[in-house]
Amino acid sequence: MSTVLAGSTALAACRSVSVTYGRGEARVDALRDVDLEIAADGFLALLGRSGSGKTTLLHILGGLLVPTAGTVSWRGEPLSTLDAAARGEARARGIAYVFQGSNLIPHLTAWENVAYAARVASRIRGEGPRPNALLTLVGLRDKGGSLPAELSGGESQRVAVARALAQQPELLLCDEPTGHLDTDTGGRVLDMIEALREELGFALVIATHDADVAARAERAPELAGGRIREETGPR
Amino acid sequence: MTRIALHARLALAGLARSPARTALRIAVVTAAVALLAGMLLFIGHSLRTASASAVRQVPLDWQGPVSSYKQARAVATGVSRQAGIAEAAATATAPFAASTHAGPAGRTSTSQGSVLAVPPGYGRGIHTFRLLHGSLKPGDVVLDQQMAATLQARVGDRVTLEPRPGSPPKRYTVSGVGLITVPDQVFQPLNPLLGPAPAQPPENAVLMPISTFARTLAPELAPITAANAASNAQPGAQKGVQWEVQAQLDAGPLVAGSPSAALKLADQTRNRVESSLPGRVQFVDNLSDSLTTASEDSLYAQALYIMLAVPGALVALGVAYLAALGTSERDRRDLALLRARGARRRDLVALAAAESVGLGVAAGLLGAALGFVAVQLLVNGGAHLTTGRALVTVAVSVLLGVLGSGAARIAATESVLRRTVAEGRRSAVRDRPAAWRRYYLDLLALALSGLIYWLTIRTGFSAVVNPDANPTLSLSIYMFFGPALLWIGATLLLVRVRGRAVAWLAGRAAARNPGSLGSFLLASAGRRGPAINRGLLVVGLLLAFGVSLAIFAATYDQQARADAQLTLGADVTVAAPPGAIAKHDLAGKVAAVRGVAATTPLDHSYAYVGPDLQDTYGIDPATFPHATSLRDSYFLGGTASQMMSRLQQTRDGIMVSLETINDYSLKPGDLLRLRVLDQRTGHFRVVPFHVVGTVQEFPSAPRDSFMVTNLSYLESATHAPGPNEVFARSTGDPGAVATGVAAATRGFGTRVENLDDQTAKTVTSITTVDLSGISHIEEAFAVALAAAAIAMFVLTAVAERKHELATMAAVGAPLREVAAFVWSEAGLVLGAGVLLAAGLGWLLATMLVAMLTHVFDPPPDHLAIPWRYLAALGGASLAAMLGSCALAARRLRALPLGAILRER
Repeated sequence: MSTVLAGSTALAACRSVSVTYGRGEARVDALRDVDLEIAADGFLALLGRSGSGKTTLLHILGGLLVPTAGTVSWRGEPLSTLDAAARGEARARGIAYVFQGSNLIPHLTAWENVAYAARVASRIRGEGPRPNALLTLVGLRDKGGSLPAELSGGESQRVAVARALAQQPELLLCDEPTGHLDTDTGGRVLDMIEALREELGFALVIATHDADVAARAERAPELAGGRIREETGPR
Repeated sequence: MTRIALHARLALAGLARSPARTALRIAVVTAAVALLAGMLLFIGHSLRTASASAVRQVPLDWQGPVSSYKQARAVATGVSRQAGIAEAAATATAPFAASTHAGPAGRTSTSQGSVLAVPPGYGRGIHTFRLLHGSLKPGDVVLDQQMAATLQARVGDRVTLEPRPGSPPKRYTVSGVGLITVPDQVFQPLNPLLGPAPAQPPENAVLMPISTFARTLAPELAPITAANAASNAQPGAQKGVQWEVQAQLDAGPLVAGSPSAALKLADQTRNRVESSLPGRVQFVDNLSDSLTTASEDSLYAQALYIMLAVPGALVALGVAYLAALGTSERDRRDLALLRARGARRRDLVALAAAESVGLGVAAGLLGAALGFVAVQLLVNGGAHLTTGRALVTVAVSVLLGVLGSGAARIAATESVLRRTVAEGRRSAVRDRPAAWRRYYLDLLALALSGLIYWLTIRTGFSAVVNPDANPTLSLSIYMFFGPALLWIGATLLLVRVRGRAVAWLAGRAAARNPGSLGSFLLASAGRRGPAINRGLLVVGLLLAFGVSLAIFAATYDQQARADAQLTLGADVTVAAPPGAIAKHDLAGKVAAVRGVAATTPLDHSYAYVGPDLQDTYGIDPATFPHATSLRDSYFLGGTASQMMSRLQQTRDGIMVSLETINDYSLKPGDLLRLRVLDQRTGHFRVVPFHVVGTVQEFPSAPRDSFMVTNLSYLESATHAPGPNEVFARSTGDPGAVATGVAAATRGFGTRVENLDDQTAKTVTSITTVDLSGISHIEEAFAVALAAAAIAMFVLTAVAERKHELATMAAVGAPLREVAAFVWSEAGLVLGAGVLLAAGLGWLLATMLVAMLTHVFDPPPDHLAIPWRYLAALGGASLAAMLGSCALAARRLRALPLGAILRER
């Protein structure tokens, strides 16, 4: 089963995408014949258990992974057929990630992590928001000089959000952004992301196993066994 | 399945699971083992070469004096039957008073000479003479070449020998002309208690069959026996017949091992032979004399090899250790996981040991092969492996490989064993400061090293070869501590610093332009100080090893040639009969030879200072420095050019040795009256000179006292018919130039020698130890290991930072910008490593050369810098860095971003 978000302007799209890991007995079909479109201002939650293919689908959408079969497009242009450098450039044009484990660059401070992303984006998209302003936005103005190892899990995730915003995203892909956080902290991070989306107007895709998180989205297709099984919403 | 088999299987599975990591660890341990194996092979080869050279230099091993022909034959028969004896012969030597020859040109005669009488077949194993024409026939004689020339006698002519003054001459037919190659040994007085005492060779010598000798000459002369041996013991004082047994040992077993082993074997053989013929013979042992010298030299050589090679081998093992450390975090996690699944402490140790054995065996076998290839390619003469030696080398190499890989792995295992499973799974590990950090042993080592160096240059600690019968090398222990403590102190200091200097510098530089790519690179590098320091430690120390070794080897080589040049005098020397140089303008003829850059004539004569007869050199100070090399260290109280200038300005000036200065309380300007031989009158006359300086060494001068003066003044005093030697400087190969010089001066009775031959001939000196083999091996490995180390740093950095680099790529950073985070650090490591190597390498070389200053003769004025090798070392490191960075860039392009970023 596949889901197509019809009636919206597609910012990113997957067509008949399949992803296979390994060979022979070790072969795993992470995604099977998935169709998906993301509108320019949409908010989509990919709901599913661990191993259902959520992260793989997020990586496919951002060009971190090339599908075994099918096509992926970004702003109407093919993404999956590009080489690594071109896909990187495509990401620089407006795709940002917030990973489950924040994935901050460990030897750069919070400010430098945000500033580095801002610098990468500004080369293509022009000057964006200042790193200090973004850190202030996520409530970490006074933590700019801290290394990732010196931040708590929630703080790291907020820096990761600030870094993603520094990329001036048109599409923000969040992979279990609250997976490592307690309920309260996770809720605050989600509130913040939603508020920023409202303010800045980017498309948002959140991969989650939490139905409550999925309930915040306009649409929430459920992934199981690498296929999109059903869709919830809109809210 | 037994427990051992299970561990072996698990270890092999672990190694096979990460083939690239396993290959890297094997490669690094292989390089370390290969360096050690190459050194072992070289030392073995070098020792055997020294044995062979020492044995080959002695054409006559033993000479046993006996009292009669009959006894000589009986003892020779008894000796020749003994094991280990190649040949034993009954021979005799005796003097003759005069010889004559009546030929077409008239009657010619010679003064006294010596006879060597040998049995038929002599010469198969003992090579004391060489036949040039004819053969040795019963009843006839063979004349030595010089005597044949003096008598103008040819094969078939008849000559007479007068046994004693006034005795009736004996007539012989000349059946051949030959050359007695070791007359100083053959005609030496034989006293087994005193040992070898090479004698002044006789001007005239005759060979004859011993049966002929016994029948014709021997009856005219009294035999030398124990009773009258003392009166015949002075060189040149032999009055009677010296019956003797000459013996030559089987060289095969002697050259199979070190000179010490050969000496021991030769002594054992001599003792056995002498005890089997009790009271009948005792030998003068020429062979042991030569082997004793070779043993001393080889002990010195071994000490030197070890001193030079061990730091390299340790740094190479350090590379292996750090290669394992590069993957230790992963090892820790693996091992912690195993522990979490129930593996016990001893299982983990057994698993690590099994893995180390697997790695070590592979690295040992490869290292032994690589070491052999290196020796085969880089050492003159190759390794000459026998099955036994090959097996020993492989066994030692495998052992070293297992120890090297084991040391690296045990560090990781021990860390795991000390921590809980949860701690083991963390990447960040905090260590308690080691004792050396707490007590600042690094700084203490550096301070002590400096103190020892200061004492070395101030008080002259030096290597001393003990000339006792049992060869031992007496070395000041403090001497070795200097460079050793410098190595240790510098290494520990680098470990202590852990990149703090890099962090401080990078932090300051990054703050200047925040937000730029350079600032991010510097900020990142500054916070990766420990990792950068690890690379700097390996790369910098390897480069320092290469630099110190190359500078030392080049200086050593420079001094070896200087030693040979000091002994010979110049690149090419021409000695001529009195008057020939002036009469035939031989200096001009030599100067005209292609490849000769400059020439200078000199007169070598003798003069008395008080009762001391000293060598005296008359030189032309204006041309002398151009035709040979003068070092400042030859003189006291001025540089070489200053001393030549003083001599040139003082017509009757003379430079004398420090001993003469002290013995006669002389100072510059003092009058010195010498007795010189007036060649016009044939009598000594007193001639005034004025002291202008002190000379310690001088080209071609002996090591004891001698004097240097102006050629023109000396000639005016001695009325000599001109100089008797010409020194020439060559622009190219001295051997080739010497050939040209010999051709240009043929017919004037000249003897031409050159530096190449002299370098090969100079023995019992620094040049005996040919360092080129070991230094070539070590230099090659330094280049390879330095290149491998920088490449390893780059590739390890990519492996360690792949998550970080993938994150950068995920935020859209261009790949070349991501790669900049790798190559900028590699450049930083290489740049800092070069600076460290330049400083530390220079310091080490200076210290090593200072230690050996008293061994070098002359001592070095300056270090020789082998720019070509240093450029190759730096170039190879740079090429390896660029190559590995290019490889890293390709890896970045192919990084599986999705897989990496979902790892956490």
